Amino acid sequence: MEEGANGTVTPLASMFPADEAQKAAGRVQDAIAEKRRELDRVRGFAADNAALVNLVQKLPEELHHDVMVPFGKAAFFPGRLIHTNEFTVLLGEGYYAERTSKQTVEILRRRGKALETHVDSLKSIIEDLKTEASFFDKTASEAAEGLVEIREELSGEESDEGSSELGQKEDGPSISVEDKGKILNEDEEYDRLMSKLDELEKEELAAEAADNIEEETNEVDPDVVSDQSSFHQNLKDLEGSHSCMPPSHSERQASNEEFLRQTRQQPALVEKLNPGDFTIASSQKDKTSHGNDLLWNLKGPDIADKSPKLPALEENDHAGSSNNEVPIQPPKPKVDSLRAFTGSIIEHSPNLPINPREPSATSSKVPGSQSSKPLSRFRMQRK
Amino acid sequence: MDNYRLDKVHKFEEFVDRRLKPDLVRAISERDKVFEQQKTFSDLRKNIENLQKNSVTSLRTLVNLGSEVYMQAEVPDTQHIFVDVGLGFHVEFTWSEALNYISLREEKLARQIEEYTHHIASIKAQIKMVCEGIRELLQLPAEATLQEPIF
Repeated sequence: MEEGANGTVTPLASMFPADEAQKAAGRVQDAIAEKRRELDRVRGFAADNAALVNLVQKLPEELHHDVMVPFGKAAFFPGRLIHTNEFTVLLGEGYYAERTSKQTVEILRRRGKALETHVDSLKSIIEDLKTEASFFDKTASEAAEGLVEIREELSGEESDEGSSELGQKEDGPSISVEDKGKILNEDEEYDRLMSKLDELEKEELAAEAADNIEEETNEVDPDVVSDQSSFHQNLKDLEGSHSCMPPSHSERQASNEEFLRQTRQQPALVEKLNPGDFTIASSQKDKTSHGNDLLWNLKGPDIADKSPKLPALEENDHAGSSNNEVPIQPPKPKVDSLRAFTGSIIEHSPNLPINPREPSATSSKVPGSQSSKPLSRFRMQRK
Repeated sequence: MDNYRLDKVHKFEEFVDRRLKPDLVRAISERDKVFEQQKTFSDLRKNIENLQKNSVTSLRTLVNLGSEVYMQAEVPDTQHIFVDVGLGFHVEFTWSEALNYISLREEKLARQIEEYTHHIASIKAQIKMVCEGIRELLQLPAEATLQEPIF
């Protein structure tokens, strides 16, 4: 097929045989069923807990209650509950505490909350597994249809043009392998961080830089057709210089959701995903289903991530005011990542969206989403 | 001929896996349940004997309200005890009556356990027999280990 080019064409079915993929989907379905059972069980616990809260609240209303006191498993004595405001509650590990009704209710409420978060996490796990299953199903059907994956080595300048065209063709069919997705995820995360920093920087530079940006971006934009609108919107907000967060946030939201749909998200992936939304966490967490319970332990890492970078940002502020090249950097990686999430081959993502007519200044940082990391860091220091 | 034999072997294997083994598992779990009942009744007997020995007339215990939350309970009169006689019925006994009932109940439970043990043994024997049948069909030599245990 591709005799002239130095690429390889692999039918998807040879990598993921249809029946194997179906088997994998079946296994995931089994896992879902199992999780569902666990969910039901935990829900039962939660219901029991709620009933107990009611009971504990009601018991102290009377001085004593006539009950049948269990004596072993098979016998009862007629008797009554006394000291109705004294409860002995198991704290765990065989330790018991004497509590009043109110205190007991508090303990039980906390237990209920723990159960709720458990239910939530189970729900999100089930959602994840569902996406995974649908992904396997899709792979199976695609393999059955006889799709092929086209891979091509990147070599030199002259192949750039051809491969970028090729890349457009490959966009739909091919499917990224899991670990590549992870790498990509890290890249995306980094890119988000960088774009965030740049936006903040931009905010401080305010209006006089805005003119420069517009010129600059007009040069770069035309090729990136798919992202143009959001890109422009982003820029407009940058010009306005009051709040550049909302657009980038919504864009990120979109890419997040896209990402959630596309990848089979293990919890690890999701965790990685979330650290990206530091400042906008409040609105973000409403949308992502499990943001709530994950957020609290993610806040730490976010701050840790952010703080070491701030000094660098400060440096840039002094030197970089005249440099109009800065704002280009954030959107570009984003283009890469977005593209990758639409299912394109990851190795190609660096040169896929690349605009052949791009100015030479920017072409130096194109080489790859992987390499963009060290390069941009270098650029930061150079300024 | 060969096909016929393979068919037969397959049918036997299926019989062992689908019928006999689940039966065995069920019988064992039933017997475990009876064992548990036996244990509760022997515990109850010991407890009542203890009460008798110490001539306890009133009692204070902790009642589990659920989720390991306990509340104190008082039994003003321990002379009368309600014992579970099955099907959700509880009968009011005095101590001696209760002990009497419990001993009868324990006897019955012991008989049940015996029955289940026989049942389990027969299922195991059936499994072994079918396996031997399969062996014969395949014309394998009898396992050496089978003869060994004869001392």
